Amino acid sequence: MVLKAFFPTCCASADSGLLVGRWVPEQSSAVVLAVVHFPFIPMQVKELLAQVQQASRVSIAVLGTWCHHRQEPEESLGHFLEGLGAIFSHDPWLQLCRERGSKFWSCKATRRQVPTSFGAPGEDQVMLVFYDQRKVLLSQLHPPAALPDRQAGDATASAGGLAAVFDTVARSEVLFRSDRFDEGPVRLSHWQSEGVEASILVELAKRASGPICLLLACLLSLVSAVSTCWVFKLWPLSFIWSKLSTCEQLKHRLEQLKLIFSPQKAENPSQLMRKANILVSVLLDVALGLMLLSWLHGKDRIGQLADALVPVADHVAEELQHLLQWLMGAPAGLKMNRALDQVLGRFFLYHIHLWISYIHLMSPFIERILWHVGLSACLGLTISLSILSDIIALLTFHIYCFYVYGARLYCLKIYGLSSLWRLFRGKKWNVLRQRVDSCSYDLDQLFIGTLLFTVLIFLLPTTALYYLVFTLLRLLVVTVQGLIHLLVDLINSLPLYALGLRLCRPYRLAAGVKFRVLEHEAGRPLRLLMQINPLPYGRVVHTYRLPSCGCHPKHSWGSLCRKLFFGELIYPWRQRGDKQD
Amino acid sequence: MEDKMSFFDICGGRLALQRRYYSPSCREFCVSSPRLSLRLLTVVTCTVWLAAYGLFTLCENSMILSAAIFVTLLGLLGYLHFVKIDQETLLIIDSLGIQMTSSYASGKESTTFIEMGKVKDVIINEAIYMKVIYYLCILLKDPGEPDGISQVVPVFQMEIMKFRQIKNCLLSSCFAQFTGWAVGLVRDSFQEGPMRPEPRPF
Amino acid sequence: MAYRGGGGHGHPHSAALNVSPRSLPTCRTHTHSICMVSDFFYPNMGGVESHIYQLSQCLIERGHKVIIVTHAYGNRKGIRYLTNGLKVYYLPLKVMYNQSTATTLFHSLPLLRYIFVRERVTIIHSHSSFSAMAHDALFHAKTMGLQTVFTDHSLFGFADVSSVLTNKLLTVSLCDTNHIICVSYTSKENTVLRAALNPEIVSVIPNAVDPTDFTPDPFRRHDSIITIVVVSRLVYRKGTDLLSGIIPELCQKYPDLNFIIGGEGPKRIILEEVRERYQLHDRVRLLGALEHKDVRNVLVQGHIFLNTSLTEAFCMAIVEAASCGLQVVSTRVGGIPEVLPENLIILCEPSVKSLCEGLEKAISQLKSGTLPAPENVHNIVKTFYTWRNVAERTEKVYDRVAGEAVLPMDRRLDRLISHCGPVTGCIFALLAVFNFLFLMFLRWMTPDSFIDVAMDATGPKGAWTYPHPYGRKQGDNNEVSQVR
Repeated sequence: MVLKAFFPTCCASADSGLLVGRWVPEQSSAVVLAVVHFPFIPMQVKELLAQVQQASRVSIAVLGTWCHHRQEPEESLGHFLEGLGAIFSHDPWLQLCRERGSKFWSCKATRRQVPTSFGAPGEDQVMLVFYDQRKVLLSQLHPPAALPDRQAGDATASAGGLAAVFDTVARSEVLFRSDRFDEGPVRLSHWQSEGVEASILVELAKRASGPICLLLACLLSLVSAVSTCWVFKLWPLSFIWSKLSTCEQLKHRLEQLKLIFSPQKAENPSQLMRKANILVSVLLDVALGLMLLSWLHGKDRIGQLADALVPVADHVAEELQHLLQWLMGAPAGLKMNRALDQVLGRFFLYHIHLWISYIHLMSPFIERILWHVGLSACLGLTISLSILSDIIALLTFHIYCFYVYGARLYCLKIYGLSSLWRLFRGKKWNVLRQRVDSCSYDLDQLFIGTLLFTVLIFLLPTTALYYLVFTLLRLLVVTVQGLIHLLVDLINSLPLYALGLRLCRPYRLAAGVKFRVLEHEAGRPLRLLMQINPLPYGRVVHTYRLPSCGCHPKHSWGSLCRKLFFGELIYPWRQRGDKQD
Repeated sequence: MEDKMSFFDICGGRLALQRRYYSPSCREFCVSSPRLSLRLLTVVTCTVWLAAYGLFTLCENSMILSAAIFVTLLGLLGYLHFVKIDQETLLIIDSLGIQMTSSYASGKESTTFIEMGKVKDVIINEAIYMKVIYYLCILLKDPGEPDGISQVVPVFQMEIMKFRQIKNCLLSSCFAQFTGWAVGLVRDSFQEGPMRPEPRPF
Repeated sequence: MAYRGGGGHGHPHSAALNVSPRSLPTCRTHTHSICMVSDFFYPNMGGVESHIYQLSQCLIERGHKVIIVTHAYGNRKGIRYLTNGLKVYYLPLKVMYNQSTATTLFHSLPLLRYIFVRERVTIIHSHSSFSAMAHDALFHAKTMGLQTVFTDHSLFGFADVSSVLTNKLLTVSLCDTNHIICVSYTSKENTVLRAALNPEIVSVIPNAVDPTDFTPDPFRRHDSIITIVVVSRLVYRKGTDLLSGIIPELCQKYPDLNFIIGGEGPKRIILEEVRERYQLHDRVRLLGALEHKDVRNVLVQGHIFLNTSLTEAFCMAIVEAASCGLQVVSTRVGGIPEVLPENLIILCEPSVKSLCEGLEKAISQLKSGTLPAPENVHNIVKTFYTWRNVAERTEKVYDRVAGEAVLPMDRRLDRLISHCGPVTGCIFALLAVFNFLFLMFLRWMTPDSFIDVAMDATGPKGAWTYPHPYGRKQGDNNEVSQVR
C-alpha cells in the first residue's frame, strides 16, 4: 500500500527538524502536525509529546525528519538526521527533504522491521498530501463521522478514512497552543507558530455572556411561570389560546429564548450551531419588527389604517349580501328549489346583518386597539404577522360560520344519499365488520327510503351551490392565512447563522475534501493538495433547519379534495395536540 | 503519460476522452464535450424572439418583448450554470479514493470525493432514462451490513458513452482492481441496487 | 419438463447438461432474437405470466435470445435479469386499468423502438389481447418491419358493447400480424371469428404446467371427510356466484363435506355472507390470495377440484389439479372440454343444479372407491402438457414466420383499408402513416447506428454464464449485425 504523508502547508517553509504527528496504521497514513526545530533535547521532546498525548488522547509520536536545504546541501546534516532515527524509533521512519531551487521534494520511508518476505530494509512508495492546518482544524465534517465517545476515553479514533485525519488535527489543539515567542524548551512550527490567533472582543463577549445568560434566564423563567398560571388554564381561555396563532408563536419564541440563555454549555457543535442559528433568527426577527414599528408609528399610519379598516369590512359584508341575493335568484341560470333557497338565503342575510352591527359597534375602538397591537411589533416581525393572521381570522368570522353551516348541511346530505343509495341496491353498511353487506329490506323501508332518496337528490343542487360558494370564500381566507404562516415559518426555521458561515467561511462546514494533483515529475513522490469541499447551500439548510412550530399541511392535495367533496371541515390552524398523540 | 481519444456518444455528439497517468497509483480521466454551439444558441434565441414578436403584433403590449429578453437571458444563464457540463474529470488515487469533478459551462465546479474504504464495487449498470443507457457507477458499502449497498453513485453524469467504450476505456484500465464487474454487469435496476440472483418466480 | 434453473451464474451449465440430446435440435437454420411483450408479467400472478416465463426459459435453453418487455410494477422498474440471464425491461408507462397500460399508439414508440434496435430483435411476440402494450408493440413492430407473432389467451363474447369494440380493435391489430397462436381449438375458433382472420395463420399450442411442481400427496388429505378445493380468482368470470349457490346445497346434503377456497377478488364478500348465513365457518375455509408456490399444498389437501368458470380459453387450473391427482368437476365452457380426457373430468352445464349433480356423481364415485388412484392420474397427466413441447412448437412458428416477408407500408395500408371496414380501416391507416412518420422522425433524431448494442446475457452461451465475456462478446455483436 502506498504510504500517505499528510503535511501541513504552513510547515513547508519551516527550518529542518523532526516531524511530529500521528501514524494511522490501518490506512498507512502519517498525519504530520508540527515540526520540532533544532536544537532540542530528545528527552524534552518526548516529555512534550507525552503531555500532549495525555491531554488529547491521540497517540502522537515523532514520525521522521524534515530537512529544508536553504543553502548547499550539507553532508553532515544528512548523517545527523539519519542518526536521529535511532533515538526516536518509529516504523516506518519518514525522511522528507526539500531542496533549494526545486519545487519537488524527495521523500523516503524506511521500514526497519520488514517482513522477512521482502528481504532487506524496504522503502515504501510515498504520496505527499498537503493540507491547510487551520481550515482542517476549524472545519466540521458532514455528516459527522460516528466517533467513539470521548468521555469513554477511547484513545484511538475508529473513524475511518479522512475523518481520522480531521479528528487527529482537531484533537491535538494542545500542541498548537505555544507559538515561537514562547520560552519553552522545544520550538515548534505549526499554523499558529507566528502567534496565537485571538480577539479581544471575542474574549470580552465570552466573559460577559455568563452573567447575562443567568440574568435573562431568570427573567424568562419568571415569564413562563406567569404564563403557566392557573387563570390562563380555565376552560374557555385555554381553548382560545390553542386556536390563536399569536399564542403559539409566543410560546415557540419563549422556548427558543430559554434554550439560548440556558446556563449549560452546548455539548456538541451541532447544538452550538443550533443556538447560534436561533439567536441570529431572533435578532433578525426583532430588527425587522422594529423597522415595521418605526414605519407604522411615523406619519400617523395607524390612524389611516384604522380608518380604512371599517369601510373595507363594510364593503366585504355588502359584497356578501349581493352574492347571497344572487344566489337566492337564479344563479348562473340554474333553477333551484325555491323554498330551500329562500330559507338558506334569509338565514345567511340575517347573519350578515348581525355582523355589520357588530363592526359598527367596534369602530370607535379600532384605532386604539390597532395602536396597541402595533406595539407588539417590537417583539418581532413574526409576532406581528401572527397577530395579523389572527385579525384576519376574526374579521372573516362570518365567512367561517357560513362555511361551517354549508358544509354541515352538505355533509349530512351526502351521507344520507350514500346510505339511501345502498338501501336502493339492497345493501347496507355493516359497522361491526366495516364492510358493505347485502340485506333484504321490507317493502315499507324500501318505499320510504326511495322517497327520501328522491327528495334529497332534488334538494342537493341547492345545498351544493351554497356549499361551493362559501367553500371558495373560505379557501381564499385559508390561503391568505397559509401564506402568512409560511412567511412566519420561514423566519422561524431558516438557519441564518449557518448560511452566513457558509457564505463567509466556506471551509467551516465541510461536505468532504477534494484533491488537486500538483505538478509532478517522474521519480519523485506524487504531491496532492487537499482542499475542503464546502457543503452545498441546500444541504446547509436541510441540516440546520430549525424546528418550526409545525403548521405544515397535514393532508395531501388528494385528501384535501376528498374532504372538500364529502363536506368535511378543513382547518388551517395548527393542531399541536393531535400531533403529539 | 497522457493519451487522447475521441468518439461519439449515444446521441451522436463528439466526446473527447483524455487519460493522464501521474503515477502507477494515480490516474485521471477527463471527458470533455464540445463547447456550446453558436448555431444552437442562435436558433433558440431567434425562435423565442420571433414567437415573442408574433405575440407582440397580436396584443400590442411591449411587455412581451422585454419579457422575452429576460426569459432568454435567464434561460441561458440557467442552462450554462446548471445544465451544460463542459468537462467531467475522474481522479483515481488508489489508496485514497475516487474523485469526480464536473465543471459547468459557467465555471461552476462540483466535486465529490469517495474514499476507497467506502467503495464496494464499480460496475456498469443499465437504466431506462428517456432511452435505455449503460452507465458506469460506484456502489458504496453499507456500514450496517457487510453485503448491503447503501448508495449507487453514477460516475459520468452527462457524457453517456457506449457500453464498449465504458468497458474498454474506463473499466479495464482504471478500475482494474475491481473484479466484480465482469460477472456482475449489473443485475438490477437503479432503484434497488444490484440484486441477488433472482429466485425462480413461479 | 419445465426449466428449473436455480438462478445465478454457473448453475445454468448443469441445467444445460440435463437436457437430453434429442431435445436439442442439431440442424436448425438459425437462432432467433425474440422479444416477448405483454403488460402481464411477474410480479403479477396468473396464467399469462407463467406462460411467458416458462416459454422464455425453454426458448433460451434451445439457444434463442429472449427478452421480455412489460410495464413497471410499483418499485420494480428498470431492467432486471432473471434466471439464465432472461432480461426483463420494466418500462415506466402509466397503468390505467387492471394492470393494463394506457394506449395512445404513439407514446411507447420511442422506448420500444430503442429496445428493439439495441437488442437486435427479429421477432416480436405479444401476449394477451387484454394487454394494450402488446397491441402497441405489434403496431410499432409492423411499422419497423419486424416479424410479429401474437398469442391469445382468452375468449370473448360477441354481443355486448365492450366486446364489439374490443373485437374491432383486435381485427385491426391482427389483420397484418404474421402469425397468431391460440391455446385451444375453441380459442382458435373464437379468435378467427372475432378478428376475421385466415385460419391458416392461426396455430393451436396449448399451455403447459410444470408436472414436477404438482405431484400428488395422498397422505395430506383426511379420508374421513370429503374436501372440495376451489382455486381461482373470485370474480364474476370465474363463476363465484355459482359457487355461492353450490356451497349451502351440498353442505346440507353431505355432513362430511368441506370446502377449501383459495383466491381473492371482489366477489369474496358473497362467499363470506354464505358462510355466515348458513353457519359454515368450520366447513368452508377461505384462504385468500395464494402464491403460486402454495397452490400445490392447497390442492393436495382435497379430493375433488371444482372449476366454475363461465368462460375459459384453456384452463390451467384443472390440469394442475388433475396432476395432483384430484377428480376434476368443471363447467363445459370454452376450451375446457379439450383439455382433459373424459375419464379424468366430469363436465357440467354452468348452472347450480348441473354442477351439484356433477359433484354428487364425483362424491358417490369417491365413496364407492371407483376413482383412479392419484399417482396413476398424475402419471397420465404428466405426459400431456410440457413446456419443452410448447417451446418446440412455438419455435416452428418462429421458423415459419422468419421466412415470411413483412408487408411493406403500401400493402399494409391497403390491407388495413380492405380488411377492417371503410371507417375503422381508414382511421387506422392514417394512424399507421402517422406512426411511420414518427418513426422517421425518431430515426432522424437518433439514427439506428448511434444506438448502443446491448450485451447479450441470455442463454447458455451468454454473458450470464461466462465470467469473462470479453472477446467472444464482440464477435457476437458482429455476427448479429451481419445477420441483420
